[in-house]
Amino acid sequence: MQMNCWDKITRNLGIKRVRKDTFMQCYCNKKRVPDISRSMGKYLKENRRGCLKFNKSGQDMKQEQVLSNNLMAAGVVQDMVPQNKISLDKEHCCLEVKDLDLFYGSNQALKSINMKVPVKRATAFIGPSGCGKSTLLRCFNRLNDLIDVCRVQGEIKLDGENIYDPKVDVAELRRRVGMVFQKPNPFPKSIFDNIAFGLRLKGIRNKKHLNEVVEKSLKGAALWEEVKDRLYESALGLSGGQQQRLVIARAIAIEPDVILLDEPCSALDPISTSKIEELIHQLKERYTIVIVTHNMQQAARVSDFTAYMYLGELIEYRDTITMFTNPKEKTTEEYITGRFG
Amino acid sequence: MTHLTQELDRLNMKVMQMVVQTEQALSKTVNAFSRMDADLAQEVVDHDKEINELEVLIDQLCLRLLALEQPVARDLRFILGAMRLSNDLERIGDESANISDATIFLSLHPPLEFYDQIQIMGQKAYDMLQEAIIAFSSPDTERAVNVCRMDFEVDEINSKVIKLSIEHMSQDSKTIEQCVQSINIARRLERVADLATNIAETTMFIVQGTSIKHSCQFDDRV
Repeated sequence: MQMNCWDKITRNLGIKRVRKDTFMQCYCNKKRVPDISRSMGKYLKENRRGCLKFNKSGQDMKQEQVLSNNLMAAGVVQDMVPQNKISLDKEHCCLEVKDLDLFYGSNQALKSINMKVPVKRATAFIGPSGCGKSTLLRCFNRLNDLIDVCRVQGEIKLDGENIYDPKVDVAELRRRVGMVFQKPNPFPKSIFDNIAFGLRLKGIRNKKHLNEVVEKSLKGAALWEEVKDRLYESALGLSGGQQQRLVIARAIAIEPDVILLDEPCSALDPISTSKIEELIHQLKERYTIVIVTHNMQQAARVSDFTAYMYLGELIEYRDTITMFTNPKEKTTEEYITGRFG
Repeated sequence: MTHLTQELDRLNMKVMQMVVQTEQALSKTVNAFSRMDADLAQEVVDHDKEINELEVLIDQLCLRLLALEQPVARDLRFILGAMRLSNDLERIGDESANISDATIFLSLHPPLEFYDQIQIMGQKAYDMLQEAIIAFSSPDTERAVNVCRMDFEVDEINSKVIKLSIEHMSQDSKTIEQCVQSINIARRLERVADLATNIAETTMFIVQGTSIKHSCQFDDRV
Protein backbone atom coordinates (compact mmCIF):
# COMPACT_ATOMS: atom_id res chain seq x y z
CA MET A 1 0.00 0.00 0.00
CA GLN A 2 1.23 3.47 -0.84
CA MET A 3 1.89 5.60 2.22
CA ASN A 4 0.93 9.19 1.93
CA CYS A 5 3.08 12.09 2.95
CA TRP A 6 1.30 12.51 6.23
CA ASP A 7 1.86 8.88 7.21
CA LYS A 8 5.54 9.31 6.56
CA ILE A 9 5.82 12.44 8.68
CA THR A 10 4.09 10.87 11.64
CA ARG A 11 6.10 7.68 11.30
CA ASN A 12 9.41 9.52 11.08
CA LEU A 13 8.63 11.68 14.05
CA GLY A 14 7.37 8.73 16.03
CA ILE A 15 4.22 10.63 16.99
CA LYS A 16 0.72 9.44 17.36
CA ARG A 17 -1.54 10.16 14.47
CA VAL A 18 -3.23 13.51 14.77
CA ARG A 19 -5.50 15.09 12.26
CA LYS A 20 -3.52 16.64 9.48
CA ASP A 21 -5.27 19.99 9.55
CA THR A 22 -4.70 20.30 13.32
CA PHE A 23 -1.07 19.54 12.85
CA MET A 24 -0.60 21.94 9.95
CA GLN A 25 -2.38 24.67 11.88
CA CYS A 26 -0.08 24.23 14.83
CA TYR A 27 2.92 23.94 12.58
CA CYS A 28 2.20 27.17 10.77
CA ASN A 29 0.72 29.27 13.59
CA LYS A 30 3.13 28.33 16.35
CA LYS A 31 0.38 26.73 18.43
CA ARG A 32 1.12 23.77 20.55
CA VAL A 33 -0.05 20.50 19.12
CA PRO A 34 -2.12 18.87 21.84
CA ASP A 35 -1.10 15.28 21.09
CA ILE A 36 2.57 15.89 20.56
CA SER A 37 5.07 15.86 23.34
CA ARG A 38 6.78 19.04 24.46
CA SER A 39 10.14 18.12 22.99
CA MET A 40 8.56 17.30 19.70
CA GLY A 41 6.81 20.64 19.67
CA LYS A 42 10.11 22.36 20.27
CA TYR A 43 11.68 20.36 17.53
CA LEU A 44 9.01 21.34 15.06
CA LYS A 45 9.32 24.97 16.05
CA GLU A 46 13.00 25.00 15.24
CA ASN A 47 12.46 23.12 12.08
CA ARG A 48 9.85 25.52 10.90
CA ARG A 49 12.07 28.50 11.53
CA GLY A 50 14.89 26.86 9.62
CA CYS A 51 12.70 25.89 6.73
CA LEU A 52 11.20 29.30 6.38
CA LYS A 53 14.63 30.86 6.37
CA PHE A 54 15.83 28.40 3.80
CA ASN A 55 12.78 28.92 1.70
CA LYS A 56 13.44 32.65 1.58
CA SER A 57 16.91 32.15 0.21
CA GLY A 58 15.78 29.41 -2.20
CA GLN A 59 14.64 30.37 -5.64
CA ASP A 60 11.61 28.68 -7.05
CA MET A 61 11.32 27.80 -10.68
CA LYS A 62 8.77 29.94 -12.39
CA GLN A 63 5.95 28.14 -14.17
CA GLU A 64 6.80 29.59 -17.58
CA GLN A 65 10.32 28.32 -17.08
CA VAL A 66 9.03 24.75 -17.13
CA LEU A 67 9.37 23.74 -20.74
CA SER A 68 6.66 21.13 -20.82
CA ASN A 69 4.00 23.67 -19.83
CA ASN A 70 4.86 25.58 -23.00
CA LEU A 71 4.85 22.41 -25.07
CA MET A 72 1.41 21.56 -23.76
CA ALA A 73 0.11 25.11 -24.29
CA ALA A 74 1.41 25.22 -27.86
CA GLY A 75 -0.36 21.96 -28.61
CA VAL A 76 2.91 20.23 -29.53
CA VAL A 77 2.00 17.42 -27.21
CA GLN A 78 -1.51 16.06 -27.24
CA ASP A 79 -2.99 12.90 -25.98
CA MET A 80 -3.56 10.43 -28.76
CA VAL A 81 -6.04 7.63 -28.53
CA PRO A 82 -3.96 4.48 -28.14
CA GLN A 83 -4.50 1.85 -30.80
CA ASN A 84 -6.30 -1.01 -29.20
CA LYS A 85 -5.06 -4.50 -29.71
CA ILE A 86 -7.45 -6.39 -31.94
CA SER A 87 -8.61 -9.89 -31.26
CA LEU A 88 -10.36 -12.42 -33.48
CA ASP A 89 -13.07 -13.21 -30.93
CA LYS A 90 -14.29 -9.62 -30.86
CA GLU A 91 -14.46 -9.20 -34.64
CA HIS A 92 -17.60 -9.40 -36.72
CA CYS A 93 -16.92 -12.03 -39.42
CA CYS A 94 -18.38 -12.25 -42.92
CA LEU A 95 -16.68 -15.40 -44.18
CA GLU A 96 -16.78 -18.59 -42.17
CA VAL A 97 -15.00 -21.78 -43.21
CA LYS A 98 -16.24 -25.01 -41.62
CA ASP A 99 -14.44 -28.37 -41.88
CA LEU A 100 -13.27 -27.65 -45.40
CA ASP A 101 -11.51 -30.47 -47.24
CA LEU A 102 -10.36 -30.10 -50.82
CA PHE A 103 -9.05 -32.84 -53.13
CA TYR A 104 -7.26 -32.59 -56.46
CA GLY A 105 -8.09 -36.11 -57.65
CA SER A 106 -6.84 -38.35 -54.88
CA ASN A 107 -4.50 -35.74 -53.47
CA GLN A 108 -5.88 -33.86 -50.47
CA ALA A 109 -4.82 -30.20 -50.72
CA LEU A 110 -6.77 -28.76 -47.76
CA LYS A 111 -7.34 -30.67 -44.53
CA SER A 112 -10.33 -29.71 -42.38
CA ILE A 113 -9.86 -25.96 -42.36
CA ASN A 114 -11.86 -23.99 -39.80
CA MET A 115 -11.57 -20.23 -39.74
CA LYS A 116 -13.43 -16.93 -39.76
CA VAL A 117 -12.51 -13.89 -41.83
CA PRO A 118 -13.34 -10.59 -40.09
CA VAL A 119 -15.17 -7.79 -41.89
CA LYS A 120 -13.26 -4.70 -43.05
CA ARG A 121 -9.91 -6.09 -42.02
CA ALA A 122 -6.99 -7.40 -44.02
CA THR A 123 -6.31 -11.09 -43.46
CA ALA A 124 -3.11 -12.59 -44.85
CA PHE A 125 -2.31 -16.23 -45.66
CA ILE A 126 1.34 -17.17 -45.39
CA GLY A 127 3.19 -20.46 -45.70
CA PRO A 128 5.69 -22.29 -47.88
CA SER A 129 4.95 -23.12 -51.53
CA GLY A 130 2.28 -25.74 -52.03
CA CYS A 131 0.79 -25.36 -48.56
CA GLY A 132 -2.65 -24.56 -49.97
CA LYS A 133 -2.92 -20.79 -49.43
CA SER A 134 -3.99 -19.98 -53.01
CA THR A 135 -6.27 -23.03 -53.12
CA LEU A 136 -8.07 -21.82 -49.99
CA LEU A 137 -8.31 -18.30 -51.41
CA ARG A 138 -9.82 -19.61 -54.65
CA CYS A 139 -12.44 -21.48 -52.64
CA PHE A 140 -13.87 -18.14 -51.48
CA ASN A 141 -15.27 -17.32 -54.93
CA ARG A 142 -15.48 -20.89 -56.24
CA LEU A 143 -12.75 -20.50 -58.81
CA ASN A 144 -11.75 -24.09 -58.04
CA ASP A 145 -15.00 -25.16 -59.75
CA LEU A 146 -13.20 -24.56 -63.04
CA ILE A 147 -10.77 -27.40 -62.28
CA ASP A 148 -12.34 -30.73 -63.26
CA VAL A 149 -10.50 -32.95 -60.79
CA CYS A 150 -11.17 -30.64 -57.87
CA ARG A 151 -13.65 -31.79 -55.20
CA VAL A 152 -14.73 -29.76 -52.17
CA GLN A 153 -16.25 -30.99 -48.89
CA GLY A 154 -17.43 -28.88 -45.97
CA GLU A 155 -18.87 -25.41 -46.21
CA ILE A 156 -17.93 -21.76 -46.57
CA LYS A 157 -20.50 -19.25 -45.41
CA LEU A 158 -20.65 -15.73 -46.78
CA ASP A 159 -22.85 -13.68 -44.44
CA GLY A 160 -24.39 -16.89 -43.13
CA GLU A 161 -25.11 -18.44 -46.55
CA ASN A 162 -23.22 -21.49 -47.76
CA ILE A 163 -21.57 -20.53 -51.06
CA TYR A 164 -21.28 -24.20 -52.09
CA ASP A 165 -25.05 -24.57 -51.98
CA PRO A 166 -26.27 -25.68 -55.45
CA LYS A 167 -28.77 -22.79 -55.52
CA VAL A 168 -26.06 -20.14 -55.33
CA ASP A 169 -25.58 -17.99 -58.44
CA VAL A 170 -21.82 -18.23 -59.03
CA ALA A 171 -21.66 -15.07 -61.17
CA GLU A 172 -23.33 -13.10 -58.37
CA LEU A 173 -20.96 -14.69 -55.84
CA ARG A 174 -17.96 -13.60 -57.90
CA ARG A 175 -19.38 -10.07 -58.06
CA ARG A 176 -19.56 -9.98 -54.29
CA VAL A 177 -16.14 -11.60 -53.90
CA GLY A 178 -13.73 -9.94 -56.33
CA MET A 179 -10.31 -11.28 -57.17
CA VAL A 180 -6.96 -9.81 -58.21
CA PHE A 181 -4.27 -12.13 -59.53
CA GLN A 182 -0.51 -12.30 -59.38
CA LYS A 183 0.03 -10.88 -62.86
CA PRO A 184 -2.01 -7.84 -63.85
CA ASN A 185 -4.59 -8.87 -66.45
CA PRO A 186 -6.24 -5.78 -67.93
CA PHE A 187 -8.53 -6.37 -70.90
CA PRO A 188 -7.15 -5.13 -74.26
CA LYS A 189 -9.46 -2.13 -74.10
CA SER A 190 -9.22 1.48 -72.96
CA ILE A 191 -8.73 2.32 -69.28
CA PHE A 192 -12.32 3.57 -69.10
CA ASP A 193 -13.77 0.44 -70.71
CA ASN A 194 -11.81 -1.79 -68.36
CA ILE A 195 -13.43 -0.21 -65.33
CA ALA A 196 -16.88 0.07 -66.91
CA PHE A 197 -16.82 -3.56 -68.10
CA GLY A 198 -18.45 -5.06 -65.04
CA LEU A 199 -21.14 -2.38 -64.92
CA ARG A 200 -22.00 -2.76 -68.60
CA LEU A 201 -22.25 -6.50 -68.02
CA LYS A 202 -24.85 -5.69 -65.37
CA GLY A 203 -26.74 -3.67 -68.00
CA ILE A 204 -25.83 -0.18 -66.83
CA ARG A 205 -25.53 2.09 -69.87
CA ASN A 206 -26.05 5.55 -68.33
CA LYS A 207 -22.99 7.55 -69.41
CA LYS A 208 -23.09 9.93 -66.44
CA HIS A 209 -23.33 7.10 -63.96
CA LEU A 210 -20.48 5.22 -65.68
CA ASN A 211 -18.28 8.35 -65.59
CA GLU A 212 -18.91 8.75 -61.88
CA VAL A 213 -18.14 5.13 -61.05
CA VAL A 214 -14.96 5.10 -63.18
CA GLU A 215 -13.66 8.22 -61.45
CA LYS A 216 -14.58 6.94 -58.00
CA SER A 217 -13.00 3.55 -58.60
CA LEU A 218 -9.78 5.00 -60.03
CA LYS A 219 -9.54 7.38 -57.08
CA GLY A 220 -10.21 4.47 -54.73
CA ALA A 221 -7.33 2.58 -56.32
CA ALA A 222 -5.04 5.64 -56.11
CA LEU A 223 -4.66 5.75 -59.89
CA TRP A 224 -6.87 8.68 -60.89
CA GLU A 225 -4.17 11.37 -60.83
CA GLU A 226 -1.92 9.32 -63.11
CA VAL A 227 -4.48 8.40 -65.77
CA LYS A 228 -7.19 11.07 -65.72
CA ASP A 229 -5.88 12.63 -68.96
CA ARG A 230 -5.71 9.38 -70.90
CA LEU A 231 -8.81 7.46 -69.91
CA TYR A 232 -9.51 6.42 -73.49
CA GLU A 233 -6.02 5.12 -74.23
CA SER A 234 -5.27 1.39 -74.11
CA ALA A 235 -4.83 -0.05 -70.62
CA LEU A 236 -1.96 -2.14 -71.94
CA GLY A 237 0.15 1.03 -72.20
CA LEU A 238 0.25 1.37 -68.39
CA SER A 239 3.19 0.19 -66.28
CA GLY A 240 2.95 -3.09 -64.34
CA GLY A 241 2.16 -1.32 -61.06
CA GLN A 242 -0.44 0.89 -62.75
CA GLN A 243 -2.01 -2.13 -64.46
CA GLN A 244 -2.31 -3.91 -61.11
CA ARG A 245 -4.01 -0.87 -59.58
CA LEU A 246 -6.27 -0.70 -62.63
CA VAL A 247 -7.29 -4.30 -61.99
CA ILE A 248 -8.04 -3.40 -58.37
CA ALA A 249 -10.09 -0.42 -59.59
CA ARG A 250 -11.98 -2.78 -61.91
CA ALA A 251 -12.66 -5.06 -58.97
CA ILE A 252 -14.00 -2.28 -56.73
CA ALA A 253 -16.14 -0.71 -59.51
CA ILE A 254 -18.79 -3.41 -59.00
CA GLU A 255 -18.80 -2.77 -55.23
CA PRO A 256 -17.78 -6.17 -53.90
CA ASP A 257 -17.93 -7.12 -50.21
CA VAL A 258 -14.68 -9.02 -50.23
CA ILE A 259 -11.53 -8.54 -52.33
CA LEU A 260 -9.22 -11.51 -52.71
CA LEU A 261 -5.63 -10.71 -53.62
CA ASP A 262 -3.47 -13.57 -54.83
CA GLU A 263 0.15 -12.39 -54.51
CA PRO A 264 -0.72 -8.99 -55.99
CA CYS A 265 2.80 -7.58 -55.77
CA SER A 266 4.97 -10.51 -56.76
CA ALA A 267 5.41 -9.22 -60.34
CA LEU A 268 5.96 -5.60 -59.31
CA ASP A 269 8.93 -3.34 -58.51
CA PRO A 270 9.43 -2.05 -54.92
CA ILE A 271 7.87 1.38 -55.55
CA SER A 272 4.74 -0.11 -57.13
CA THR A 273 4.65 -2.67 -54.32
CA SER A 274 4.62 0.03 -51.65
CA LYS A 275 1.86 1.86 -53.55
CA ILE A 276 -0.28 -1.28 -53.60
CA GLU A 277 0.43 -1.84 -49.89
CA GLU A 278 -0.70 1.70 -49.08
CA LEU A 279 -3.76 1.05 -51.18
CA ILE A 280 -4.57 -2.08 -49.16
CA HIS A 281 -4.44 0.03 -45.98
CA GLN A 282 -7.00 2.39 -47.51
CA LEU A 283 -9.17 -0.34 -49.03
CA LYS A 284 -9.62 -2.22 -45.77
CA GLU A 285 -11.59 0.71 -44.39
CA ARG A 286 -14.33 -0.15 -46.91
CA TYR A 287 -13.83 -3.77 -47.95
CA THR A 288 -12.84 -7.07 -46.42
CA ILE A 289 -9.42 -7.98 -47.80
CA VAL A 290 -7.92 -11.45 -47.99
CA ILE A 291 -4.38 -11.58 -49.32
CA VAL A 292 -2.08 -14.46 -50.15
CA THR A 293 1.57 -13.54 -50.11
CA HIS A 294 4.95 -15.23 -50.30
CA ASN A 295 6.46 -12.16 -48.74
CA MET A 296 6.13 -12.47 -44.97
CA GLN A 297 7.17 -8.87 -44.41
CA GLN A 298 4.36 -7.80 -46.67
CA ALA A 299 1.87 -9.80 -44.63
CA ALA A 300 3.23 -8.11 -41.50
CA ARG A 301 2.96 -4.65 -43.03
CA VAL A 302 -0.52 -4.79 -44.48
CA SER A 303 -2.60 -7.31 -42.55
CA ASP A 304 -4.52 -7.22 -39.28
CA PHE A 305 -4.77 -11.00 -39.01
CA THR A 306 -2.42 -13.65 -40.30
CA ALA A 307 -2.96 -17.34 -40.97
CA TYR A 308 0.00 -19.68 -41.27
CA MET A 309 -0.62 -22.78 -43.37
CA TYR A 310 1.54 -25.84 -43.87
CA LEU A 311 0.83 -28.97 -45.94
CA GLY A 312 -2.84 -28.10 -46.34
CA GLU A 313 -3.43 -27.47 -42.66
CA LEU A 314 -4.12 -24.24 -40.87
CA ILE A 315 -1.41 -24.23 -38.21
CA GLU A 316 -1.94 -20.87 -36.56
CA TYR A 317 -4.35 -18.00 -37.09
CA ARG A 318 -4.31 -14.86 -34.94
CA ASP A 319 -3.73 -11.11 -34.98
CA THR A 320 -0.66 -10.08 -36.94
CA ILE A 321 1.03 -8.29 -34.02
CA THR A 322 1.07 -11.42 -31.85
CA MET A 323 1.87 -13.59 -34.87
CA PHE A 324 5.05 -11.65 -35.63
CA THR A 325 6.17 -10.84 -32.09
CA ASN A 326 5.15 -13.91 -30.12
CA PRO A 327 3.68 -16.78 -32.17
CA LYS A 328 2.30 -19.63 -30.12
CA GLU A 329 3.25 -22.52 -32.43
CA LYS A 330 6.86 -23.59 -32.79
CA THR A 331 6.58 -24.26 -36.54
CA THR A 332 5.17 -20.77 -37.12
CA GLU A 333 8.11 -19.24 -35.30
CA GLU A 334 10.55 -21.34 -37.31
CA TYR A 335 8.89 -20.33 -40.56
CA ILE A 336 8.67 -16.59 -39.91
CA THR A 337 12.24 -16.43 -38.61
CA GLY A 338 13.44 -18.18 -41.76
CA ARG A 339 14.69 -21.34 -40.05
CA PHE A 340 12.33 -23.56 -41.97
CA GLY A 341 10.32 -23.56 -45.18
CA MET B 1 1.04 10.24 -45.34
CA THR B 2 2.01 6.60 -45.42
CA HIS B 3 0.98 4.05 -42.84
CA LEU B 4 4.51 3.89 -41.41
CA THR B 5 4.71 7.67 -40.99
CA GLN B 6 1.44 7.64 -39.11
CA GLU B 7 2.70 4.94 -36.78
CA LEU B 8 5.97 6.81 -36.25
CA ASP B 9 3.99 9.97 -35.45
CA ARG B 10 2.05 8.04 -32.87
CA LEU B 11 5.28 6.80 -31.33
CA ASN B 12 6.76 10.31 -31.37
CA MET B 13 3.69 11.65 -29.61
CA LYS B 14 3.97 9.03 -26.89
CA VAL B 15 7.66 9.83 -26.40
CA MET B 16 6.81 13.54 -26.13
CA GLN B 17 4.14 12.73 -23.58
CA MET B 18 6.71 10.89 -21.52
CA VAL B 19 9.16 13.77 -21.95
CA VAL B 20 6.54 16.18 -20.59
CA GLN B 21 5.72 14.01 -17.60
CA THR B 22 9.36 13.43 -16.72
CA GLU B 23 10.25 17.07 -17.04
CA GLN B 24 7.40 18.05 -14.77
CA ALA B 25 8.42 15.41 -12.25
CA LEU B 26 11.96 16.77 -12.14
CA SER B 27 10.87 20.40 -11.92
CA LYS B 28 8.55 19.54 -9.06
CA THR B 29 11.33 17.60 -7.36
CA VAL B 30 13.72 20.54 -7.54
CA ASN B 31 11.00 22.89 -6.32
CA ALA B 32 10.01 20.54 -3.52
CA PHE B 33 13.60 20.42 -2.33
CA SER B 34 14.14 24.15 -2.45
CA ARG B 35 10.88 24.79 -0.60
CA MET B 36 11.20 21.66 1.55
CA ASP B 37 7.63 21.01 0.48
CA ALA B 38 6.70 17.48 1.51
CA ASP B 39 3.32 17.59 -0.22
CA LEU B 40 4.82 18.50 -3.56
CA ALA B 41 7.46 15.80 -3.10
CA GLN B 42 4.75 13.26 -2.37
CA GLU B 43 3.01 14.29 -5.59
CA VAL B 44 6.13 13.33 -7.54
CA VAL B 45 6.29 9.94 -5.83
CA ASP B 46 2.62 9.29 -6.60
CA HIS B 47 2.89 10.23 -10.27
CA ASP B 48 5.93 8.07 -11.00
CA LYS B 49 3.60 5.21 -11.91
CA GLU B 50 2.33 7.11 -14.96
CA ILE B 51 5.84 7.50 -16.34
CA ASN B 52 6.47 3.79 -15.86
CA GLU B 53 3.28 2.96 -17.74
CA LEU B 54 4.35 5.13 -20.66
CA GLU B 55 7.68 3.30 -20.79
CA VAL B 56 5.90 -0.02 -21.18
CA LEU B 57 3.64 1.42 -23.85
CA ILE B 58 6.53 2.87 -25.85
CA ASP B 59 8.36 -0.44 -25.65
CA GLN B 60 5.32 -2.20 -27.07
CA LEU B 61 4.97 0.33 -29.89
CA CYS B 62 8.64 -0.02 -30.80
CA LEU B 63 8.49 -3.80 -30.74
CA ARG B 64 5.48 -3.73 -33.01
CA LEU B 65 7.04 -1.29 -35.45
CA LEU B 66 10.24 -3.32 -35.63
CA ALA B 67 8.38 -6.58 -36.15
CA LEU B 68 5.80 -5.41 -38.65
CA GLU B 69 7.15 -2.49 -40.63
CA GLN B 70 10.82 -3.32 -41.27
CA PRO B 71 11.91 0.29 -40.83
CA VAL B 72 15.21 1.43 -42.31
CA ALA B 73 17.60 4.40 -42.08
CA ARG B 74 16.26 7.34 -40.06
CA ASP B 75 13.02 5.54 -39.16
CA LEU B 76 15.01 2.64 -37.74
CA ARG B 77 17.28 4.99 -35.82
CA PHE B 78 14.27 6.84 -34.46
CA ILE B 79 12.71 3.64 -33.14
CA LEU B 80 15.95 2.51 -31.52
CA GLY B 81 16.34 6.04 -30.14
CA ALA B 82 12.80 6.03 -28.76
CA MET B 83 13.54 2.79 -26.89
CA ARG B 84 16.69 4.23 -25.33
CA LEU B 85 14.95 7.50 -24.60
CA SER B 86 12.05 5.87 -22.81
CA ASN B 87 14.52 3.92 -20.73
CA ASP B 88 16.45 7.05 -19.75
CA LEU B 89 13.30 9.05 -19.05
CA GLU B 90 11.96 6.29 -16.84
CA ARG B 91 15.22 6.33 -14.86
CA ILE B 92 14.95 10.11 -14.46
CA GLY B 93 11.39 9.61 -13.22
CA ASP B 94 12.61 7.03 -10.70
CA GLU B 95 15.45 9.23 -9.51
CA SER B 96 13.02 12.14 -9.11
CA ALA B 97 10.77 9.95 -6.99
CA ASN B 98 13.73 8.84 -4.87
CA ILE B 99 14.93 12.41 -4.39
CA SER B 100 11.40 13.40 -3.41
CA ASP B 101 11.32 10.59 -0.89
CA ALA B 102 14.52 11.88 0.68
CA THR B 103 13.13 15.41 0.56
CA ILE B 104 10.14 14.32 2.60
CA PHE B 105 12.57 13.06 5.25
CA LEU B 106 14.73 16.18 5.10
CA SER B 107 11.72 18.47 5.37
CA LEU B 108 11.26 17.24 8.93
CA HIS B 109 14.68 18.46 10.02
CA PRO B 110 16.31 21.87 10.14
CA PRO B 111 18.15 22.56 6.90
CA LEU B 112 21.92 22.32 6.68
CA GLU B 113 23.98 25.13 5.28
CA PHE B 114 25.12 23.32 2.14
CA TYR B 115 21.60 22.71 0.86
CA ASP B 116 21.91 25.69 -1.43
CA GLN B 117 24.63 23.80 -3.31
CA ILE B 118 22.25 20.87 -3.86
CA GLN B 119 19.67 23.33 -5.00
CA ILE B 120 22.04 24.80 -7.59
CA MET B 121 22.85 21.28 -8.64
CA GLY B 122 19.17 20.45 -9.05
CA GLN B 123 18.64 23.56 -11.14
CA LYS B 124 21.61 22.66 -13.35
CA ALA B 125 20.44 19.06 -13.78
CA TYR B 126 17.03 20.41 -14.70
CA ASP B 127 18.56 22.86 -17.19
CA MET B 128 20.42 19.97 -18.77
CA LEU B 129 17.27 17.91 -19.13
CA GLN B 130 15.49 20.88 -20.62
CA GLU B 131 18.29 21.49 -23.09
CA ALA B 132 18.31 17.79 -24.02
CA ILE B 133 14.55 17.84 -24.56
CA ILE B 134 14.74 20.90 -26.79
CA ALA B 135 17.59 19.27 -28.70
CA PHE B 136 15.50 16.13 -29.19
CA SER B 137 12.23 17.79 -30.15
CA SER B 138 13.73 20.44 -32.47
CA PRO B 139 15.97 18.42 -33.40
CA ASP B 140 19.06 20.56 -32.79
CA THR B 141 22.44 18.83 -32.67
CA GLU B 142 24.33 21.89 -31.41
CA ARG B 143 22.22 21.97 -28.29
CA ALA B 144 22.78 18.25 -27.88
CA VAL B 145 26.54 18.81 -27.80
CA ASN B 146 25.95 21.63 -25.33
CA VAL B 147 24.28 19.24 -22.89
CA CYS B 148 27.41 17.10 -22.72
CA ARG B 149 29.46 20.18 -21.82
CA MET B 150 27.12 21.10 -18.98
CA ASP B 151 27.63 17.73 -17.33
CA PHE B 152 31.02 18.72 -15.88
CA GLU B 153 29.54 21.51 -13.77
CA VAL B 154 27.11 19.10 -12.14
CA ASP B 155 29.91 16.63 -11.46
CA GLU B 156 31.94 19.35 -9.78
CA ILE B 157 29.10 20.45 -7.50
CA ASN B 158 28.46 16.80 -6.64
CA SER B 159 32.04 16.42 -5.37
CA LYS B 160 31.64 19.66 -3.45
CA VAL B 161 28.44 18.51 -1.76
CA ILE B 162 30.04 15.22 -0.74
CA LYS B 163 33.00 17.09 0.73
CA LEU B 164 30.79 19.51 2.63
CA SER B 165 28.62 16.67 3.94
CA ILE B 166 31.61 14.79 5.24
CA GLU B 167 32.87 17.90 6.98
CA HIS B 168 29.48 18.46 8.52
CA MET B 169 29.20 14.88 9.69
CA SER B 170 32.58 15.02 11.39
CA GLN B 171 31.57 18.17 13.23
CA ASP B 172 28.02 17.24 14.18
CA SER B 173 27.25 13.56 14.50
CA LYS B 174 23.53 14.25 15.07
CA THR B 175 23.13 15.27 11.46
CA ILE B 176 24.67 12.12 10.00
CA GLU B 177 21.36 10.83 8.68
CA GLN B 178 20.55 14.14 7.02
CA CYS B 179 24.01 14.31 5.52
CA VAL B 180 23.76 10.79 4.14
CA GLN B 181 20.40 11.64 2.59
CA SER B 182 21.91 14.82 1.14
CA ILE B 183 24.75 12.83 -0.41
CA ASN B 184 22.14 10.48 -1.80
CA ILE B 185 20.22 13.34 -3.36
CA ALA B 186 23.36 14.82 -4.86
CA ARG B 187 24.37 11.48 -6.31
CA ARG B 188 20.93 11.01 -7.81
CA LEU B 189 20.97 14.48 -9.32
CA GLU B 190 24.32 13.65 -10.82
CA ARG B 191 22.70 10.53 -12.35
CA VAL B 192 19.88 12.68 -13.74
CA ALA B 193 22.48 14.88 -15.41
CA ASP B 194 24.15 11.80 -16.89
CA LEU B 195 20.82 10.56 -18.20
CA ALA B 196 20.17 13.97 -19.76
CA THR B 197 23.51 13.53 -21.51
CA ASN B 198 22.30 10.15 -22.75
CA ILE B 199 19.21 11.80 -24.22
CA ALA B 200 21.43 14.28 -26.03
CA GLU B 201 23.57 11.43 -27.36
CA THR B 202 20.46 9.61 -28.55
CA THR B 203 19.36 12.77 -30.35
CA MET B 204 22.69 12.89 -32.17
CA PHE B 205 22.27 9.24 -33.07
CA ILE B 206 18.78 9.78 -34.48
CA VAL B 207 19.68 12.90 -36.48
CA GLN B 208 23.16 12.12 -37.73
CA GLY B 209 23.46 8.38 -37.27
CA THR B 210 26.71 8.86 -35.42
CA SER B 211 27.42 7.65 -31.93
CA ILE B 212 28.94 10.26 -29.61
CA LYS B 213 28.63 7.99 -26.61
CA HIS B 214 31.32 8.52 -23.99
CA SER B 215 32.93 11.19 -26.15
CA CYS B 216 32.27 13.80 -23.47
CA GLN B 217 34.93 12.14 -21.37
CA PHE B 218 37.54 13.04 -23.97
CA ASP B 219 36.31 16.59 -24.49
CA ASP B 220 38.34 19.76 -24.05
CA ARG B 221 38.25 19.45 -20.31
CA VAL B 222 41.98 19.85 -19.75
